[in-house]
Amino acid sequence: MEFIDIVLSISDGVLFGTTYALIGIGFTMIFGVMHKINLAYAATSIGGAYVSWAISTLVPLPAILVFLISAIAAGVIGWLVYLCCFRLVPLDTPLTTLLATVGMLIFIDEVVVHETDGMPQPYPAIFDDVFFEFGEFGLRGDLLFIFVLSFAAMLVLLYLLYRTRLGIATRAVAQQPMAAQLCGISIERTNASTFVITGMLGGLAGAMIGASVGVLSPLLTLPVTVKGLIVTVIGGLGSIPGAIIAGLMVGAFENLFLALRGVTERDMYVMLLLFLFLTFRPGGLFHRSALRD
Amino acid sequence: MLEVQDVVTAYGKIEALKGVTLRVGEGQITCLLGPNGAGKTTLMLTITGILKPRRGSVRFHDKDITGQAPGGIVRAGIALVPENRLVFPEMTVAENLRAGAYSRTGSAASEIANDMEAMYNRFPRLRERSTQMAGTLSGGEQQMLSVARALMARPKLLLMDEPSLGLAPMIVEEIFQIVRDLHKDGTSIFLVEQNAHMALQVAHHFYLLEQGRVTFDGTPGEMAEDEVIQRAYLGTRQTA
Ligand SMILES: Nc1ncnc2c1ncn2[C@@H]1O[C@H](COP(=O)(O)OP(=O)(O)O)[C@@H](O)[C@H]1O
Ligand SMILES: [Mg+2]
Repeated sequence: MEFIDIVLSISDGVLFGTTYALIGIGFTMIFGVMHKINLAYAATSIGGAYVSWAISTLVPLPAILVFLISAIAAGVIGWLVYLCCFRLVPLDTPLTTLLATVGMLIFIDEVVVHETDGMPQPYPAIFDDVFFEFGEFGLRGDLLFIFVLSFAAMLVLLYLLYRTRLGIATRAVAQQPMAAQLCGISIERTNASTFVITGMLGGLAGAMIGASVGVLSPLLTLPVTVKGLIVTVIGGLGSIPGAIIAGLMVGAFENLFLALRGVTERDMYVMLLLFLFLTFRPGGLFHRSALRD
Repeated sequence: MLEVQDVVTAYGKIEALKGVTLRVGEGQITCLLGPNGAGKTTLMLTITGILKPRRGSVRFHDKDITGQAPGGIVRAGIALVPENRLVFPEMTVAENLRAGAYSRTGSAASEIANDMEAMYNRFPRLRERSTQMAGTLSGGEQQMLSVARALMARPKLLLMDEPSLGLAPMIVEEIFQIVRDLHKDGTSIFLVEQNAHMALQVAHHFYLLEQGRVTFDGTPGEMAEDEVIQRAYLGTRQTA
């Protein structure tokens, strides 16, 4: 294996890693605001992508519109997950909400399997016929597009969090919920909007993951859940910059080991990375909490 | 202006307030004294809607606000400077103030900017630190910020839960000066305080809360005469 192949696999991995970063941001934001883990989050993302696929089988749509529909659909699913698992279920016992989200993860998966008979479905890609060459080095057009779109989504999120009223409310609830209430901020509404916003990010990520694989399959939810959790832990629970950096790292790492060791061994090394972090830096890259960066 | 009638508030089975009745007069500084664990904070949180009373009523300007959400109560004109300040540590001083104005959906941005300017004039230290994270401020500065944040809601009644707790004597002096200034500017104040000596200098009316019940209700003069209070809070009579 040539040096340039290693560079290429890392750069492809970094580009694709932005989708993991988005998923990680979703997990980490929900944790930051509610101090709860939402295990149904990756299922929300893939569920959104499935809705957009279903709509695209009825009406032919350009791929970019399909992505957008995925984001919107996942926002709605995110809100439903909030209602079922965090609003109607009592919040004071952590295990209750955790198990509710496990149930929701399986439920969404089952709905998908039922509706598609468990068969993978084709999902449109964008710019998969474009390739940018720089001498020996090159970048895949579809991955570059994923990278740009993910970063655009992150910028919109940061604008929302740091430049708007909704952002003040979200950070206030994350940092000091009682004082937030005293300012007149509704915790329940902030929780709900966090689920909608993270749902939309997830839907976009789900669509891009589907697009890069070329198909949607119910088999995607488990690995995306696991990668999202790993990114969240490596980044530091509650840290958005941590999730971004960890997402790119995990993307690069897994693609490198895909190139070096093949697809059947790849995820073992990602797990090793997780154990290394848990052992030597259990707080993650950014050991802080609650949207505080 | 505020009437608390027979309020019972409980944490699970434990009743922290066992039927509290008191009133806060318009244009007055009313002080609530009481030992640790008496239920003072519980009363503040019940008035502001964070806790729901099991029984009894809270009326403000002759309107029943019992059990309303905190947002509705702050919009009605009651703001609380909470115990331990509770600033948003990883938001800037300016953002903390903006969060304080969150409930004012009817105010124009320029009006809120004017009020922020007024806060910076009242608390010059906050202007110096306006872009700094609130968590990096000293205890005294955080208390100023917590007061300023509550004032950003433009309350008619300001509740303050032990604002001098854990602060150096000089800062405590400053806090009480602020209480006087705010009162002079027309804000009614309901102050929780353990420092009875300081409170005697500013308050118009006193309540003593013990184990969830009001056990004294009177003017500063009456309070200074009361034997029990003298012994427990003013330390004028030494017993071995
Ligand atoms: N979150 C809580 N859960 C259970 N009990 C509480 C809680 N907060 C306060 N208490 C109890 O309620 C009583 C009154 O507390 P508090 O209102 O904080 O008193 P104070 O402010 O006068 O010191 C105390 O006995 C305290 O132990
Ligand atoms: Mg207290």
